[in-house]
Amino acid sequence: MSEKVLLARVGRERSRSIETYLEDGGYAALRTVLTGGWTPEKLTDEVKKSGLRGRGGAGFPTGVKWGFVPKDTKGKPVYLLCNADESEPGTFKDRLLMEEDPHQVIEGIILSSFAIKCRSAYIYIRGEFYLGARILVKALEEAYAKGYLGENILGSGYSLDVTVHRGAGAYICGEETGLIESLEGKRGQPRIKPPFPAVWGVFGAPTIVNNVETLACVVHIVNRGAEWFAKIGRNEKNSGPKLYCLSGHVNRPGVYEAPMGLQMKELLFGADYGQGMKDGKKVKAVIPGGASAAMLTEEEIEDCPLDFDGLAAKKSMLGSAAIIVMNEDTCIVDAAQNLAKFFSHESCGQCTPCREGTPWLHKVLTRIEAGEGRISDIDLLEKISNQMANGMTICVFADAAIAPVLSSVGKFRDEFRYHVEQKRCLVGPRARDRELVTA
Amino acid sequence: MSGKTPITPGGGGAIPGPAGGAAPPSPPPPPQKDTYTVLFDGKPVEVPRNVNLIEAAKLAGIEIPHFCFHPRLSVVGQCRMCLVEIEGIPKIQAACTTPLKEGLSVKTKTEKVVQSRAANMEFLLINHPLDCPICDQAGECKLQDNSFGYGDQRSRYDERKRQYAGFDRTMIGPHVIADMTRCIQCTRCIRFCQEIAGTGELTFLDRGGRTLVWTHDGRPLANDWSGCAADVCPVGALTVKEFRFRSRVWYLEKARSVCPGCNIGCNISIENRDSIVYRFLPRLNPEVNDYWLCDYGRFLSESLNVRDIQNASAREGDAEVRTHVPGAIERIAGKIRRTVDSTGPTGLFFLGSANLSNEENFLLRKIADHLSCGNRDAIVDESRLRRMKSRTVWVEGTHAASNFAGAKDMGLSPLPGGYGLQDVLSGKALPEVILVADAAFSKIADDPEKVEILRRAGFLAVAARTANALTRAADVVLPAASLAEKEGTFTNVQGRVQRFDRAFLPASPIRAHWEVLLLLAVALGFGDRNWTPTDLRRQIQEQVEGYADLTEEELKGGILMKKGTFVSVGAI
Repeated sequence: MSEKVLLARVGRERSRSIETYLEDGGYAALRTVLTGGWTPEKLTDEVKKSGLRGRGGAGFPTGVKWGFVPKDTKGKPVYLLCNADESEPGTFKDRLLMEEDPHQVIEGIILSSFAIKCRSAYIYIRGEFYLGARILVKALEEAYAKGYLGENILGSGYSLDVTVHRGAGAYICGEETGLIESLEGKRGQPRIKPPFPAVWGVFGAPTIVNNVETLACVVHIVNRGAEWFAKIGRNEKNSGPKLYCLSGHVNRPGVYEAPMGLQMKELLFGADYGQGMKDGKKVKAVIPGGASAAMLTEEEIEDCPLDFDGLAAKKSMLGSAAIIVMNEDTCIVDAAQNLAKFFSHESCGQCTPCREGTPWLHKVLTRIEAGEGRISDIDLLEKISNQMANGMTICVFADAAIAPVLSSVGKFRDEFRYHVEQKRCLVGPRARDRELVTA
Repeated sequence: MSGKTPITPGGGGAIPGPAGGAAPPSPPPPPQKDTYTVLFDGKPVEVPRNVNLIEAAKLAGIEIPHFCFHPRLSVVGQCRMCLVEIEGIPKIQAACTTPLKEGLSVKTKTEKVVQSRAANMEFLLINHPLDCPICDQAGECKLQDNSFGYGDQRSRYDERKRQYAGFDRTMIGPHVIADMTRCIQCTRCIRFCQEIAGTGELTFLDRGGRTLVWTHDGRPLANDWSGCAADVCPVGALTVKEFRFRSRVWYLEKARSVCPGCNIGCNISIENRDSIVYRFLPRLNPEVNDYWLCDYGRFLSESLNVRDIQNASAREGDAEVRTHVPGAIERIAGKIRRTVDSTGPTGLFFLGSANLSNEENFLLRKIADHLSCGNRDAIVDESRLRRMKSRTVWVEGTHAASNFAGAKDMGLSPLPGGYGLQDVLSGKALPEVILVADAAFSKIADDPEKVEILRRAGFLAVAARTANALTRAADVVLPAASLAEKEGTFTNVQGRVQRFDRAFLPASPIRAHWEVLLLLAVALGFGDRNWTPTDLRRQIQEQVEGYADLTEEELKGGILMKKGTFVSVGAI
């Protein structure tokens, strides 16, 4: 089993408190940077060298993103927003980090804020994470009390304030410009880009939005060096430790840390990870990167490294690294309908194709699932999907919404046909109905 | 660069900020050239720099269909109807959010563009009722037009359409009726209330396929320009109560006119049919009212249909008897002649009106000049302050009639040694003959005490459309036309001389005020029976200071301004 970096302190007694964090060498990176003569540019360069790519889903190189903040901000402040809206179905890694090791996240925020010359950072936390918000607020108080936050941190002359802001429950507020709008007190609706947030973000000021896990990684890049970080993982473009959220029909679901590029089969079946399929069933499909990633079949998970490029090669994506495993008893139509329902519920409603298309997909899938579908509905699903995405809308929500539909229809077409023709499910009663049948 | 099509700049909005908040980063320093060369479907076209791509295309004669884009509202790019292909960008792009730049190559006719438009129309119509025959927007509906132009005839949608129980056919303010089943969520109305009216009554509620536009906390949509929210609505989701179901829009004739409500003089279209005015709509004039019209002015339209005075009448002893117009004119002319002969012109008093055109007031003044009478006046009631957003500034209206400035310009103030209306009302002067060119000149005309004072004159003649205390007291009443029934010019608070056209002819024997006055002038041995408002305008140019530059050509645009008299309340 590989060394745990991000999750090293998870499970430790009183892991949330600043005392244990300091005992374990916490805030050393902060001290190194602020009192060791590091410049923001040096820190940015270090992160660039590490190859750290955003852990929120898009996988954009973090150091490069930081570099987009204009040199001359024309007197405007720069903001760092920690995206803790973790709303991608199947994802629960940021929650673990925040609830179990909040100071690691806060240290990452302070370091990253320093790198982009930010004096005021926000943690935009998903509204449902009430516990996480409380833990973060308490941890921030501790950090302020110890002088790691506030005016003149560690006598370095650098000052930073961090504020926790709870969302009100919208998937789209995890999209960075939707998050910015929401933080400004408006409807959570993604903005038109360009201008990008690095130039025109929250309150009209240059803004960097980074995921919780991304920020936590920065701490370790400082402590152990960019080269160390870059060496972890399959290659230099997919580097560093990674948290994988494993859920579904496996024996041991949970958050697992592994070097980037862990083999899918290892995650599902490895003794350190999922420990195989529940009840010895066969794998039918795996969603590798949260609800908006295309499903993979059993054949496709052979030699499937779980990293950005490995999954892109399979026309899916790493996304938030939420691996949802479905066994042979799963009805794919049911799964697709469930996902379509989610996206129909969460569309913000501003762009026509997404606002009208997501409920339409859901209605057609519901019809097929209920045994009332027509054979033409299967093609219709693909046609609706193809006219919703690829630039048809302001943000990529529609692209996300069609991924499960297109991949399930494309890879499990026979099952859809069976539903339409036989008016029942290929795998028998739905899981949630099965208990009623046997009882 | 041969084959360029030169294009004259029009009024237009640059791209304001993204959906969230203020403007984006300030643009680069002003360039030397004020146009860009943009390629539309391969054809190079010179377009002004400060317009949106959709407007630039329009100037080049290319229609880019759209719903949410409006030249004066912020760009939100969310209807997705204006998608085009931009050379060098793989994905299809919304035209409204694409900044213009030198050499931009826009493709509006590719298969991808055609498909995206059809896709958007299909999406927009899956939940939109297809009951145009019973929708009041039919005929001026962008959804209809774009469906016809860019949609497929058939839909693949087979499910139940969305309903908004409780949010259909509901009055959300004193004038606007909302029907959310027809809404296409373009947010134009929301942005109008936020950005132009500045009142922000409307908002999006809920999200996704359940998104609807409604008022905040149920408070009414009751700003001074609420009708404009319905104007900007591209579909039948917001309609104006006063016009709803009164006429199919394709039956309506349009006449270019100027709002009579106050001295801002907003440019309007009088929409009429069979000599009935159905509504006023704003007519674009970036310098005055831009795309807007206030509710007060808008709903004066119905007042043009009021007619009490159908025929000329004259008082014979205590009885009021019907007569014919030439006879009535002759009575007035005879009385004037006799008075001049007996007491001289000091016994005459001529009262013009800010409701009358420059031509009419000018003619009245010429009659007074002809008779060497210095007793003349024109007054106007003050009104509550009215505000109108032009393209750049707020214009303020202070008086209750459109042509106060013009009436004064035409010389309707007492000459030295002469007297005015105040002198008459205060009893300082007692004329023998009072000629009131417009019985609705002020509230004074319906004040019995004031009218009693005017009645002390030996002879009181008025031209009128609606009855009031003054017409009931008059010795001779002449039927006169409404604004819709005549042409002329008004001079607004900015000093801008604006022409209005006749929408329809008045029913005989009703005549325009200027015709009545011309008949009187001829009877008094002055003027030419064949004069038209154009002839009078020519005389105004020659004789009235500041009006020399008026040309008929410029007047057609309604935007000629008298020099040095621009009034505004500061740029925003």
